[in-house]
This record gives sequence, C-alpha cells and structure tokens, in this order.
Amino acid sequence: MATAFTPYSYIQCPCSDITLTDRRSGGSPTTSEPDGDDHAFDPRAPRSSFSLYPLEYLMYCEDCHQIRCPRCVAEEIVTYYCPNCLFEVPSSNLKSEGNRCNRSCFQCPVCIGPLAITSVETKPDPNLLAAPDNSATPLAGPYALTCSYCLWTSTEVGIQFDKHNGIHAQLAKLRNGGTTRLTAKERKERRKDPSYKGQPPPTDSQDLDHEAQFANLKAFYQGQLADPNAADAGLALLGDLGFSSPTSLSRIMSIYTGGGLLHDKKAKARLGAMREALDPDEGLLVASLDESAAIAKLRSEGLDGTASAAQRLGQAPNLVEPPLHGRERFLDSLRPVPHLLRTKRSKRCPVCRHIISKPESKVQTTRFRIRLVAGSYIPSISVRQLALSGGTGTGTSASGAAVPGAPLEPLKPAYFLLTFKNPIFETIKVTLGAPVTTPGRFASRVTVICPEFEVDANTDVWDEALKDNAERDREQRRRRGESISAGGGGINSANQLEVGKIWERGRNWVSIVVEVVPASLALAPGDPPLREDEDVLEIPMSVRVEWEAEMAGDEVGAAPSRSNSEAREKRELAYWCVLGLGRIRQR
Amino acid sequence: MSSRRPPRGEYIETDTGNKVARKATLVGTQNIMLGGKTVIQPDAIIRGDLVRTIHPSSQSGGNAAPQNNTAISIGRYCFLSRNCCLRPPGRLYKGAFTYMPLRMGDHVFIGAGSVVQAASIGSHVHIGAGSVIGEFAIIKDYVRILDGTVVPPNMVIPSFSIVAGQPARVIGEVPEGGHEAFELRDLYKTVGNNPQPAPH
Ligand SMILES: [Zn+2]
Ligand SMILES: [Zn+2]
Ligand SMILES: [Zn+2]
Ligand SMILES: [Zn+2]
Repeated sequence: MATAFTPYSYIQCPCSDITLTDRRSGGSPTTSEPDGDDHAFDPRAPRSSFSLYPLEYLMYCEDCHQIRCPRCVAEEIVTYYCPNCLFEVPSSNLKSEGNRCNRSCFQCPVCIGPLAITSVETKPDPNLLAAPDNSATPLAGPYALTCSYCLWTSTEVGIQFDKHNGIHAQLAKLRNGGTTRLTAKERKERRKDPSYKGQPPPTDSQDLDHEAQFANLKAFYQGQLADPNAADAGLALLGDLGFSSPTSLSRIMSIYTGGGLLHDKKAKARLGAMREALDPDEGLLVASLDESAAIAKLRSEGLDGTASAAQRLGQAPNLVEPPLHGRERFLDSLRPVPHLLRTKRSKRCPVCRHIISKPESKVQTTRFRIRLVAGSYIPSISVRQLALSGGTGTGTSASGAAVPGAPLEPLKPAYFLLTFKNPIFETIKVTLGAPVTTPGRFASRVTVICPEFEVDANTDVWDEALKDNAERDREQRRRRGESISAGGGGINSANQLEVGKIWERGRNWVSIVVEVVPASLALAPGDPPLREDEDVLEIPMSVRVEWEAEMAGDEVGAAPSRSNSEAREKRELAYWCVLGLGRIRQR
Repeated sequence: MSSRRPPRGEYIETDTGNKVARKATLVGTQNIMLGGKTVIQPDAIIRGDLVRTIHPSSQSGGNAAPQNNTAISIGRYCFLSRNCCLRPPGRLYKGAFTYMPLRMGDHVFIGAGSVVQAASIGSHVHIGAGSVIGEFAIIKDYVRILDGTVVPPNMVIPSFSIVAGQPARVIGEVPEGGHEAFELRDLYKTVGNNPQPAPH
C-alpha cells in the first residue's frame, strides 16, 4: 500500500454477460438492459476479472453496434516479423524454420538481454559491447555472443563462431563445449556417401540428439511400412490394441510430418504389428537415469551453478543436444535464445465477422487500414477525487483535488468527480445507475448526485475556435450556468453540490459528482482476514448512452437529401462499468 | 535559442514554441536541434557537446558532404521532465572512440530522472520516470516504457511494445485504442510561463 492509488474505470464487454447470451440464443435481439438491482454486476465475482477492460483495450463493431474486447474478437495474423532485426518472415518459412528468427538475433539465456556479436580476441570491455554493426566489429574472429546487460558470453558455455554472420546456422552445428554435430541434412548425405558406408553410424545413444533420433525413428518406421514382411517380424503383443499397428502409426506420422505420404492402401490393409526400434540407429534412445554426474556437479558448483526455472523455460526447444534427462539444470548447459517472432494481427467481430482492426502489413509502418476502437464511440470516464470542505449547509467551497491516492476514511463521505467525454458528433444522453451499496463483504454507500445528463457533441475544435466572441461568451455563460439550464441535468452555479445537478460542463464533456461513504473494514472475531485488494472501493455502475443518428442506410454513395437527413433513428448502448475509487483505510 | 524578451519567467519560450527552463542545462547548444513546441523542464541535462568526431564520409574522397554536427535532434512536442539526461551514445569506430547522434521523433515523453543514450527514439514514445535507455538502443514508434526500466545497450524495441523490467522485456502490446494517449499537445500547454489548466 506504499504506492498511491490511481482511480480507474473499467468497462465490461457484453461477451461475458450470461443473460445476454441466453437472450440471444432465445432469439430476441434486444440489447441487454442492466436496470434494477436484480442482476447488478458484481465486479468482485471471479468471472468479472475476465471481462473488465480499460477503454483503450476495447473495440467497437459498427455493424453490431456493440463493444468488443480482446477476449471475444477473432484474430488473424497479418505479418510475422523478428522483434530485433524487424525483418518480415514469410509464413511459408514458419513451417520449415520454426517461429524464431534465424538471422543473428539472440537473447541472453541468463538475463534475456540482447546478445551482440563480439570478437573473442578483444577483452569484453563495456564500451566495446556497444559495437553492434559489422563495420565496427573489429578485427578477425573467432566471435562470441555477448550480453550487453549482464556480460554473459557464449564462450562461458564453450561456444564461439568462425564468422560474424549466419550465427543461427553456425549455432545449429555447435554443441555446448564447442563440439560440432551433424545436422539432419548432413547425416542423410553421409548415409548416401559411399566413403562412410563401412563405418557404422555412431551408436552411443548419448550422441543421439532430438533431431537425429527423430530422423532415425522416422526412417526406421518408414522402412517397416514399406517392408511387406514386417508383420512377421516381431512383437504382436499390442497389435490388437492398435497401439503399434501400421494404421495408427501412419495416422500419427501424418499428423506430425504434415504429409499424407503414408496413406497407402497396402499399409492400411495390413493389421499386423511391427517391431519396435532396437538400437540407436533405428531411433532407440535409452533414458540415462544415472544422475550421479549431475549430483556431483551440484556438490561442486552449488546452487549458483544451476539455472532457474525461468531460464530453463526461456530456452528454445533444443534439437541439437541429446535429450535432457535432467542435464539442462546447470547454467553451462544454457544456450543463446533466438528471438521469438512477433506478429501483426487483424481482428474480426466474433458475431458478424466484419473486420474491426487491420494493421498495414509492412513491419515498419504503424498505420492501420481499419481501427474501430471503442474510445471513438462511447464516452470516456475519468475519475478524480474532490475535496469538499464544509458540510452540506455552507455552500461548499469547491474544487481542488484531495490528496490523490490517499486512503479513504471509513464512514466519512468522500466525493469523486466523474468526467464523461463524448467522442461522437451527436449530443448524447447518459443515464447512470449504481446499486445503493457496493456488493461484497464491506458494503459502502454510493450516491450518484446526477444520474441523468446530456453531453454536447464532439464538434470540431476549429468550429469552436472560429465562433465569434459573442457566441462564445454566451456559450461560456451557458456552461457556467448563468442562464437557462440546458439539456438533461441543470447546471449548478458556482460548483455547488446539489442533487440532480451536474458539476461542470465543457465543449463535449460533463462532470458529475458521486458521493461514497466507505464501509468500515473492521472484522468481527472469527471473520476471515481481508483478501487481496478487498480494501479497494469499487463501485459497479450501469451506463446507458442514447443518441440520435442518421439512419444507418447502406446508401453510402448517395448524398442524403434534405428530407432524408430528417430521418434519424434513436440509438442506445448500455453496459456495465466499474469504478475503482481508492483504498479504504484499515484500522 | 533567442528569448522573446522579458517578462522573466521560469521558461525561455522560443519563436518556434519551445519552452526551455532557465534551470535546464544545455551543453553545446549549437549541436542540439529542437523541432519546436518541445518542453525542457528544470534540471534536465542535454549533452550537445558530445559530438561525433569521426565521420565515415570524410574517409572516402574528400569533404564532399558538409559535416553535420548535430549531436542530439529532438522532434516536435517532446517533453523532457526534470532531472532527465540526454546523452549521445559513444563507441569505438575503426579503433577510435566517437560519439554518435541521438535522434528523437515527435511526441516523446521522457520521465523525471531518466537517462537516455539511445541511437534513435521514434515518435509517440513514453519513457517513464527513473528509466535508463542504454547506448545505441533503438526504440520504434508507439512504445511505452514503464517507470524504472533498464533497457540494455543495443536493444531494439519494436512498435506497440509495452516494456518494463531490469533488463527490459516486452510485457505487453499497446492496444489499438491506446494510440491517442501518446499525444503531448495538451501536456505542452500545461507548462511554461503561462500554463493552462489540463483539459478534461
Ligand atoms: Zn468481449
Ligand atoms: Zn531477427
Ligand atoms: Zn545477460
Ligand atoms: Zn459485429
């Protein structure tokens, strides 16, 4: 509670409203009306935390006239790119190369800082580390990857490179400690190469890394499938279960290899079992369960030599090393982490499938082709605490914020200024509803001083500026409430707290006051202790916005004639929001 | 930075609308380019004196291009809070040490006490208070860096990232509805010799 509390307003997306979905499935297309306390929204309900969003995170579907949130929109990937080198990666490459950058973009396995390519010869001097570009990479190799944050270097795990480019490809051939390995491609070529014919392939299962094991297994099973006598070969034990039958295998293989190659009728017809791999060359890998080396290492290096869970999770799937069996627990087995690719995504309305957000596909542009954000359709609500000195009798000396973020005194009325800013070009009528007491264990009393008011249209700022002085004066007087009250709530002069009166009005905004009497957080003996954030005073509030819009005709091309522009339709949008006002002081 | 004559306020307001606090420390002003409407608060430090000493062009065939000595260029509507420090990054180039220019786009907010040594900062960037932006970091447009973040040298932060931590990591994405929040026009009006109240 050391940090000051910042008031907030979150809005509920209708996608989480069960009553709404029920109604929709029932067939009646009415919008939900959050009226009355019968199903007042409880911001503390476990479900609520999944449906409340700050206004900036919400989208708006112009066809459904409804709010959409990150949880309910359907996303489609427009572009994949590397967040470090900002190169676009074609989606076809993704299947073959995976979802990480295969240029020279790496993150430190210890601290996730960026790794720079440095020459091993020169001592890692902090000034030198800031030398990323090739012209400045001094001298000749060998090169290492060095973290510019924690100064970790790949030489610590015995990895260095001959060239300063194509690091990803070089790393794929290097094991920690510096021993080279054969890539799957080289392995295949070597198998064909007659000069290697005589030598048996490495039989030590320790040498078999993931990639090699998979290649061996695949070759082995494909050989089995092709071999008509496979059924006679062995273990028919599990055959009846379909566990090791060629059909189930071919199904699995086609899932993981992506090809439909194995779907030949012959294989399907054969129901017999196949034998399993028997040696490393066939893909058999015996788990090494002997952990004495790891234990000895832990004894000598202590806990400092081990990798944290976060560090191990951050590692890219390592196809290069032999399977773990617990060996990747030490810092010296960590490897540089190639950057995960990032995406640009477009978003669709889940109901009508219209696109509501679409960025331009080029990586370096920040423009959007379509960007329908809720903030340009529904009023924003900002919350600020008001310091009102004096009781109700003395005209209340207004303005001046209370100490922002300070805890609220229990059982002592506090006042909050809610400012509604209208983003649309029509005047809107806002109707607020809040339960008299907040839900939850500690019921604070809530009074919305002015629950109904109108907010002027978001006219052009230039219109405003160009208005002649007389008009502006009149306008300002109107705003200050010196003349007739306008719109919904009247205007209260000189900022006095009066029921049914708004506090202040501007071009396209209105401020109203909410009075709260925070509950006491005193616990009776035997009560469970305060839960996290249970001391935060949150009030649920229903907001109904009504306005008149031009008929939503689809005649986009035809300019509406005079008579046509008369045809206006009433629109309304209702939703729940929650206002976080402050923490209640604990005694 | 010609002052528009008295009254002597806290700020010097230039013809292009820059508001530079009298108590700000600008070293090597001839190497500092301000785009206009930029606010520099008291006790901010801008090291325009750390100018590039080696020019790659000067090596190849005579002095063709006139040397550009801008050490720090700042776009429009930038806001440099109290005690922040802008410092061009430096490194060895062909065996000799040189500084390189620091470039900033428009609507860049730099929080109080932050130290910035980036190579480039895009437009619509918010850097929170007490942050450190390491040498040669590249920050693209629409990036929000939370208070107390340490961005390591050479880090590239792509557009629409929310970044925090020591070292910095991308912890989220700026939502579509959050673009307007980077605008600093309104903030610009709230400081200077005739500050306006913040609009609602
Ligand atoms: Zn939703
Ligand atoms: Zn990359
Ligand atoms: Zn590191
Ligand atoms: Zn829709």
